[in-house]
Amino acid sequence: MEPAFHLRLAPSPGNVATLLDALEAYAEASALPPAVAMRLALIAEELAANVAMHATGASFFALSVRPAEGGLELAIEDDGPAFDPLGAAAPDTAAPLETREVGGLGVHFLREMTRAPRYERREGRNRLVCTLPLEA
Amino acid sequence: MEITETTEGAMGVAVLDGRLDTATAPATEAKLLAMLEKGGVIADLSAVRYVSSAGLRVLLKAAKQAKAAGRGFSVVGLQPAVREVFEISGFDKIIPAFDSRAAAAAG
Repeated sequence: MEPAFHLRLAPSPGNVATLLDALEAYAEASALPPAVAMRLALIAEELAANVAMHATGASFFALSVRPAEGGLELAIEDDGPAFDPLGAAAPDTAAPLETREVGGLGVHFLREMTRAPRYERREGRNRLVCTLPLEA
Repeated sequence: MEITETTEGAMGVAVLDGRLDTATAPATEAKLLAMLEKGGVIADLSAVRYVSSAGLRVLLKAAKQAKAAGRGFSVVGLQPAVREVFEISGFDKIIPAFDSRAAAAAG
């Protein structure tokens, strides 16, 4: 089956915006509920921004979205250094303002909003696959 | 992202329009922190349909700077999808959110 959405871009903050614009158009064309469209954009941005900001030497990031059992299957790939976003520590979301850390929210969203996220390193590429439920 | 500056009582108001994301976070942060140099700030997010973790980081920095300076920082007009992001990240417990600028200014 052809992916319903596929975009491959050079990693840069500007292209993270390009990706979000394309996902907005896809969400509208697919009539996704606003809450699902928002989660799709959040997950995609977190992973794409990780590559754009931190993956020294990466030449691309790519996102594929296709309808699957129970939701949308997302696959994000890049050719930067090996990095498993699922290995990052979760933030303490109950911490008060004074001690609340600034980072770690991206992986928190990934864990909270998707099902069965899994990472693999293969042939010099990072690949993260997860399922985004369609329920609003 | 467009940011318009206005006031509500003694508070500065930053009216944000657009996505608060990786691309727009740096300029938004600069604007909010500059406004906080002058006094308390209300960020009006009525026209913001998307806030990512990069956007949340900006709001957290502003809230921390406001607290350190003894000034107010709050948000108003959270859209339902944005409210969900606030709740999942626990930001609803650390950044005061109000329904209107007047309510935010009254604290």
